Amino acid sequence: MKNKTCKVELEYGKESIVMEKELNELDELTINISEAIEKTGVKNVVVSGYVSILFGRSRASEDVDFIIEPLTKEKFLEVWNSLKEFECLNTEKKEEAYKEYFSKGIAVRFSKKGEYIPNAEIKKPKNKIEEWVLINRKKAIINNKKIFISPIELQIAYKAFLGSEKDLEDARHLYKLFKEKLDLKKLKKFVGELKAEKNFERHIQ
Amino acid sequence: MKFPKISIEELEESKKKNFEERLKFIDSYVEWLKKTPNKEWSKQQKKIVNRKK
Repeated sequence: MKNKTCKVELEYGKESIVMEKELNELDELTINISEAIEKTGVKNVVVSGYVSILFGRSRASEDVDFIIEPLTKEKFLEVWNSLKEFECLNTEKKEEAYKEYFSKGIAVRFSKKGEYIPNAEIKKPKNKIEEWVLINRKKAIINNKKIFISPIELQIAYKAFLGSEKDLEDARHLYKLFKEKLDLKKLKKFVGELKAEKNFERHIQ
Repeated sequence: MKFPKISIEELEESKKKNFEERLKFIDSYVEWLKKTPNKEWSKQQKKIVNRKK
């Protein structure tokens, strides 16, 4: 599929989405964290509410959710060092961050020094969908900076599955914005697999 | 102050109506987003996102 220019001044391609925008605090945090992790060679992907916010959803959030590949302690310490311009909210001790949090599947949170919100929640995959997202992540180039996000089709279906009002609103925003560009067959498949047809039909479509 | 007699059914109905109105707002907001330059919508979004809780 060739890249297409969308009405909303972005290019939506099979491999990537390219967009320019005035960056807000969440965008800056996400780009900086993602670039730092990427430099260590560790695969990462941003999922959940921030994906809708990136593309214009009119709401704030206290955190951005990152999934990164499972790491050995040594590799985790390398990631920790790459994030030294940020502050870990769980603990100041990197060994403890690994042993008591990351290795147990508990998110490790990082924020700008001296601030509590917004923060980036970094964790390893804890189910098959999160493993799939990491493998099938989509590139987003924002003001020439690269981040990786969940494929939009999965993001919509997963939010339909979660089903809170906020989740359904996030999903509707993405669906209405990208519906001409989405792989609808893939979207329907995900919705079916997650048994989220009712929410999708009632509140998103 | 006397608390009014409440009807849960009535509140549930209001909640449902609010949600439906917000979904309709998202539709009109996305339509606006599509025809508004990124520089403009993202400037407005920044005000919401950067507002400290």
